[in-house]
Amino acid sequence: MSAQKKKAFQIEAFKHRVVVDPKYAEKTWKILEHAIHEIYNHNASGLSFEELYRNAYNMVLHKFGEKLYSGLVTTMTSHLKAISSSIEAAQGGLFLDELNRKWAEHNKAMQMIRDILMYMDRTFIPNTHKTPVHELGLNLWRDVVIHSSAVQTRLQAILLENVRRERSGEVIDRGLMRSISKMLMDLGPSVYQDDFEKHFLEVSADFYRLESQDFIESCDCGEYLKKAERRLNEEIERVSHYLDAKSEVKITNVVEKEMIENHMHRLVQMENSGLVNMIVDEKYEDLGRMYCLFRRVPNGLVLVRDVMTSYIRDTGKQLVTDPERLKDPVDFVQHLLDLKDKYDKIITSAFSNDKTFQNALNSSFEYFMNLNSRSPEFISLFVDDKLRKGLRGVTEEDVELVLDKVMMLFRYLQEKDVFEKYYKQHLAKRLLSGKTVSEDAERSLIVKLKTECGYQFTSKLEGMFTDMKTSQDTMQGFSARHGADIADGPMLSVQVLTTGSWPTQPITTCNLPAEIRGMCEKFRNYYLGTHTGRRLSWQTNMGTADLKATFGKGQKHELNVSTYQMCVLMLFNNADRLSYKEIEQPTEIPASDLKRCLQSLACVKGKNVLRKEPMSKDIADTDTFLFNDKFTSKFFKVKIGTVAAQRESEPENQETRQRVEEDRKPQIEAAIVRIMKARRVLDHNNIVAEVTKQLQSRFLPNPVVIKKRIESLIEREFLERDKGDRKLYRYLA
Amino acid sequence: MHKLGRSHRDKVQQFMTITGASEKAALQALKANLYKRYKDPYTDMILVDGITLLCNDIQVDPQDIVMLVLSWHMKASTMCEYSKQEFFTGLQALGIDSLGKFRERIPFMRSELKDEQKFGEIYNFAFGWAKEKGQKSLALDTAIGMWQLLFAEKQWPLVDHWCQFLQARHNKAISRDTWSQLLEFARTVDTSLSNYDAEGAWPYLIDEFVEYLNENGIISNAQSMTDWSKK
Repeated sequence: MSAQKKKAFQIEAFKHRVVVDPKYAEKTWKILEHAIHEIYNHNASGLSFEELYRNAYNMVLHKFGEKLYSGLVTTMTSHLKAISSSIEAAQGGLFLDELNRKWAEHNKAMQMIRDILMYMDRTFIPNTHKTPVHELGLNLWRDVVIHSSAVQTRLQAILLENVRRERSGEVIDRGLMRSISKMLMDLGPSVYQDDFEKHFLEVSADFYRLESQDFIESCDCGEYLKKAERRLNEEIERVSHYLDAKSEVKITNVVEKEMIENHMHRLVQMENSGLVNMIVDEKYEDLGRMYCLFRRVPNGLVLVRDVMTSYIRDTGKQLVTDPERLKDPVDFVQHLLDLKDKYDKIITSAFSNDKTFQNALNSSFEYFMNLNSRSPEFISLFVDDKLRKGLRGVTEEDVELVLDKVMMLFRYLQEKDVFEKYYKQHLAKRLLSGKTVSEDAERSLIVKLKTECGYQFTSKLEGMFTDMKTSQDTMQGFSARHGADIADGPMLSVQVLTTGSWPTQPITTCNLPAEIRGMCEKFRNYYLGTHTGRRLSWQTNMGTADLKATFGKGQKHELNVSTYQMCVLMLFNNADRLSYKEIEQPTEIPASDLKRCLQSLACVKGKNVLRKEPMSKDIADTDTFLFNDKFTSKFFKVKIGTVAAQRESEPENQETRQRVEEDRKPQIEAAIVRIMKARRVLDHNNIVAEVTKQLQSRFLPNPVVIKKRIESLIEREFLERDKGDRKLYRYLA
Repeated sequence: MHKLGRSHRDKVQQFMTITGASEKAALQALKANLYKRYKDPYTDMILVDGITLLCNDIQVDPQDIVMLVLSWHMKASTMCEYSKQEFFTGLQALGIDSLGKFRERIPFMRSELKDEQKFGEIYNFAFGWAKEKGQKSLALDTAIGMWQLLFAEKQWPLVDHWCQFLQARHNKAISRDTWSQLLEFARTVDTSLSNYDAEGAWPYLIDEFVEYLNENGIISNAQSMTDWSKK
């Protein structure tokens, strides 16, 4: 610039007041109003955002926020009214479409309007606690459009109609439904619920009520459940596609109630297709479906479980009281195991291993197994059969499997002490006849029993094994010492049994043949020589003998017989015919045993090494016996002795029962004394409860027996009744 | 001190005069005389014959329940015999020193049976007294006899049924516990068994008795019996 002096450029403040045009507000509003119109008329492109924003800003700044706000309300309302009419005008299927489109437009418009009015939204509105623009837009839409009577009713009807159509198999526009649904949710959860969901649930309930009624008349249980499952899945899918997620549990409840809960009993009890039939026919899929569906309704599983339980109990009870079934104990027990397997499979594969079902199964088995007092005996016989032959050639793992299954049945027994008695008897027979398939299997079972019942249960059984082993060693020692002198005579094998470990045997008499006696004496002396202070007695009713016999035409056979039978047969070395008395006298075998012995030697086809005169079936004191020259057998070795354990006859069973009862008395008394010693004073009912608890791992004591034992202890002055309260007992030290 | 009757006093006086003894000693001597009268010639005890004689003297039937009361006073250990000690204990307890006195005390002894407490003691005493020496339990026949005697006094309506039941079902000796508990039962449980508590820790024999009554429909009878008695 030139260097001329310039006038100073001064900036002066406005000297005059800026006059706000009184019509300023109105003018500004009109601009904005116009803009809103344009926006709603899809002419927004011509607008300048910046200018509009500034206008709105100024209005608020100059305290015309109220005018702006109310103007907004009025304008929007009138536009929405027009929109509402246009929607109402839409025909039939286009209604939803129109509504949806207008809604989308409205949202876009609102977005723009809000942006323009941002300043008001942030300052004026919070200060005056008015509804923010966006929310205002929603509320107006709701009140003016959705809740206009025509739209409201039509909307609800069309939505529900669509659902109905889809349920009957038609395809509907799910996307559209989703949008509408979302719109309702956006308007507020109560709008969604009141305008749609509530009615949706009602209508659905009616629908499913009718449908379920129809199905139940026309379908069997399995089919019905399939249909119910399908409907349930459908509804879940429906919700995921176009309803709000919170509706899922509500609609599934409806389906569950109408289709399952209301027909629960009828379904389960349905003839020919209900729960029981499914179990019998092993319909795992149907059962699984029933479990999943019934799990969803209150008491559904309780019902299933109860029906299943009473079925198991009834069939179990029938099984254990069926005389045909009980004829073969091994078969009977196998049947029980198969039954258990079957139910286990059902519970694992169809009932998802539900513990409550497992418990119900266990209690049912416990219930009916103990209805038959012979169950303990039969289980022992089953085990005996397995250990004698059943488990021959079976792998170790499979053996364990079988034994574990047996243990499972064992656990159900209430009278475990009865089992112990029989098991001991059967084990003794197995050990002494050398007829056990696998010693490992035997020991494995003993270990399992010990784990289950404690050391006391199995200590005697283990004693039996020890005796067998010790006897082997003794025999070795005996042979070593006397090897030379006994080489010529019969081969003797002795098992020395410790009394107390083995089942009690009646004392028997029997005169052994001369050939044997010498040997036996030698052994006795040998043994007593190394074990002073002991007493040995020959158990002639338990031994066996192998005899080499030559018959008439020179045929040779090896006869495997019992000791008694041996004594009888040896007599025929010196005579061809002997009367009953002539046999009885020298052998001194007790009469009933002798008769049984002679019967097995003379009256059994294929084993009749003796002949009897007369040829009657039973042995009489007057019979005569002859050596059967003409005896033949296709086998070289002929087994005549009865060794295998057998199901007891009724009288034998009674006897064992009595012995068990007798054994229980001291156990009960010991328990009473133990308890009273600790507690000093205790009332009757508590004693009974405590005693029962203490003994329950062995047997269930009868309260009457407990009472009698208490009285016995009173008489023997272990206890006395309290002077004041006759229900109390005191321990007398 | 004893009140001496006239003739008695005379006797005592006589005795005192003759022997120069004190009154107390005189009385002792009179008791000793009584003992001598009844004691067995060969042992120092009163046995069956002596008891029969005594009963005669006091005009009481040997089967009379009053003899039980007497034995109770004597703390006799077993029936049909009294030791010297027992005899004197009894006389002392009853304040008897002469036959006259003896006879006088009979009504008193009878009245003792009406006393609830004493009856209980006498009842329980009877068990030990009636059973065989060295046995723990009381033979059934004897027990039944005793019960019939005792409950004739106490009036237990079920006593006959009880005895029938025992003969039909039990046929064994009676334990002490059962004996004493039966009295409790008779005292506390009414004849219709309405307040019988099955959990009441009664001896099993009594439980079986109740079962027996129920089985044989006797309960309803007993009920009507009590109803009648109320009228």
